[in-house]
Amino acid sequence: MTKPLYFDALKVGDEAPKLVCGPLTRTDFVRYAGASHDFNPNHHDEVYAQKSGNKSVFGMGMLAGGYCARQLTDWLGDGVLRRLRIRFASRFWPDDVLTCTAKITGKTEQANGGLVECEFMSVNQAGEVIIRGDATAILPRS
Amino acid sequence: MDFSANGKSFPPYEFRVERGKIKEFADALGDRNPVYHDPESPAAKAAGGILAPPTLLRTFLYETRDAVEALKVEDWSYIVHGEQEFEYFAPIHAGDVLTAQDRIVSMTEKESRRAGKLQIAVIETTFHNQRGEKVQVARRTLIETGKRIAD
Repeated sequence: MTKPLYFDALKVGDEAPKLVCGPLTRTDFVRYAGASHDFNPNHHDEVYAQKSGNKSVFGMGMLAGGYCARQLTDWLGDGVLRRLRIRFASRFWPDDVLTCTAKITGKTEQANGGLVECEFMSVNQAGEVIIRGDATAILPRS
Repeated sequence: MDFSANGKSFPPYEFRVERGKIKEFADALGDRNPVYHDPESPAAKAAGGILAPPTLLRTFLYETRDAVEALKVEDWSYIVHGEQEFEYFAPIHAGDVLTAQDRIVSMTEKESRRAGKLQIAVIETTFHNQRGEKVQVARRTLIETGKRIAD
């Protein structure tokens, strides 16, 4: 998206278009490991992960959080975020499907637009929360 | 964790935000937004160049382990990454050279029924660009649990 949404076009309660990611594969985790330098073996080494008591490798919190950030920038625009907080609630696994949702929870008017507050979430196919978070974006007036 | 580390700052480190890394990172998130891929796209031109995605700088926090090692964690299998926060002050473009500095800004304890005694450390990293502008602050919250958290 090139153009940000306009501050006055959004209201509290407005929701972002859903973003569905997955079914996720081990290859998705390995690609993110290489791109992000997160080489915790629990995310790419099945033997290690199982020896550590996990049923398999599991995804990086920042991969799920990155999907949420992608949803926010797709929705609100490029370069408009002022703050982003990602809280890691549960783990996710190969074959999981993550669905990201986001909604506007507050607005503060400023001279040429304003700040919008959002809450966002990522849940797996069973509805279990994987990520919770909140963000602030600055948007122009139309 | 070693609570005497609270408040400590660590030596700054420098890195270049490369266009190839931005593309690789965006691809790993399935993000086809041209602002991360194509400098000739209207999106990138409007943004003043290829932009860094919002969570990219977390990847450079693996450049140094000074702050993490200062926490003196005995067993990493008891450590949970609880939260990651970013504050954005100015855009970061492909080619920017950033200087990052880590500081341990808080260390606290609390009781959790599920995970025993929790020790919570927040490492804050401040990023300046080659023009000396503060562009971003990242805060990662690391939690040492009293017992392993099972699923």
